Amino acid sequence: MKRLTSALLGSALLMLAASPVHAGEKIFTAKKCNACHYTQGPAREKSIADQLAKKGPELWYAGSKFQQKWLQAWLQDPKPIRSLKYNSLTVNNPGNHPKLAAADAKSVTDFLMTLTSKSVKSGFIKPKKNPKGRLIFVKKMPCSGCHAFPGKKKFKGGRSGPSLVGAGKRLNPDWIFAYLKDTKEFKPVRSMPVFKGLLSEKNMKKVAQYVASFK
Amino acid sequence: MKMSKSIIYTALLCAFSLALSTPAPAAEVEQVFNFYCAQCHGLEGKGDGPNVSKTFPVDPRNFTKAKEMEKLSDADMKNVIMDGGPSASKSPMMPPWSKTISEADADALVKYLRKLCNCKGKGS
Ligand code: HEC
Ligand code: HEC
Ligand code: HEC
Repeated sequence: MKRLTSALLGSALLMLAASPVHAGEKIFTAKKCNACHYTQGPAREKSIADQLAKKGPELWYAGSKFQQKWLQAWLQDPKPIRSLKYNSLTVNNPGNHPKLAAADAKSVTDFLMTLTSKSVKSGFIKPKKNPKGRLIFVKKMPCSGCHAFPGKKKFKGGRSGPSLVGAGKRLNPDWIFAYLKDTKEFKPVRSMPVFKGLLSEKNMKKVAQYVASFK
Repeated sequence: MKMSKSIIYTALLCAFSLALSTPAPAAEVEQVFNFYCAQCHGLEGKGDGPNVSKTFPVDPRNFTKAKEMEKLSDADMKNVIMDGGPSASKSPMMPPWSKTISEADADALVKYLRKLCNCKGKGS
């Protein structure tokens, strides 16, 4: 009997060691976050229909995209990021995202921060309010047509894209650049135009620095 | 009874898979338009998408106005769709889509816009 128990215990331990499930991932699954978010890359969307079928943004590169501090706070108090309901052009964001208690938010954040993409080179983009980046964002390219942005101008930007107000606290500057440069890696199907080949890497860097400076 | 029920199910299943496998180009171009263009031009093409607030710098083209749309040839339209407003001395708020959509999508969109305006282009 004793032998059997220890054999069972042993194999249970072995199984645990073979597939260590992050404590935060267990909460993620238990809270059914995976009903709306997938966490395993690479990107799965192949057609517009695939993108429209999703109930929430993909999170498989969350650790490259978000800043840890922002993520942990947002999971406890999820204020709308997109002005419109996900995948809708007519209905406003209902602002009813599930909330997590502080301890769960911490674990889930730790788990999400382990999900990274190799395409994001770190320490390359430093937030900087630069005139060239500004010129691209508000004048030369249509960025402001789809994204809310901070500033004193009367025109506060469009609303079909996620709001970029506070992007400096929310997004990893290096990810912003990678998102412009390696669009297909992150979003093979999206309603934002692909700028690779239209904006030089130098200008992508400038505009990424500019967006990363948004308060 | 059991028998007939399963026949009905099979028939339904067949009809369903047929409906799925038949290509429907009209619906497809509508989906392309709704996904990429309606953000600014509106789902009905009236230039009133959700991005267009009172302070939006330029009115996106209202595709249902035949009088304006007649002034553009099909080639002009395709050009502005692929290369953006500035390529036709128009506002940069009209994005360049050449790296996002296919040539075939652009051709289908031009036809779709002609349907919305119910008009013919300059020189055609
Ligand atoms: C019913 C579907 C649904 C469920 C369940 C859900 N989410 Fe979300 N989630 C969304 C949508 C929609 C958004 C976009 C919200 C916005 O833009 O304001 C979102 C946004 C997010 C974001 C920010 C992503 C981004 O790219 O902006 C994170 C992180 C996130 N959810 C984590 C979670 C976690 C953790 C849970 C489980 C506690 C969860 N979600 C449960 C639908 C869902
Ligand atoms: C036609 C509308 C449109 C234009 C023009 C546009 N975007 Fe976007 N943008 C979007 C949409 C929609 C998304 C969200 C895509 C998704 O997650 O499905 C997005 C996402 C983003 C994100 C990621 C935000 C997040 O939280 O996920 C950044 C950063 C961004 N855009 C920057 C830019 C910059 C810089 C430009 C100009 C060079 C630009 N956008 C032009 C519509 C647009
Ligand atoms: C970010 C907003 C935005 C999006 C998205 C957008 N457009 Fe436009 N579009 C505009 C604006 C603004 C104008 C008017 C430009 C002007 O008059 O200077 C315009 C003008 C046009 C014109 C008329 C050009 C001319 O020479 O008068 C066509 C054709 C057009 N758009 C097609 C499209 C198609 C097709 C799509 C989708 C693939 C699309 N647009 C997506 C903003 C947008």
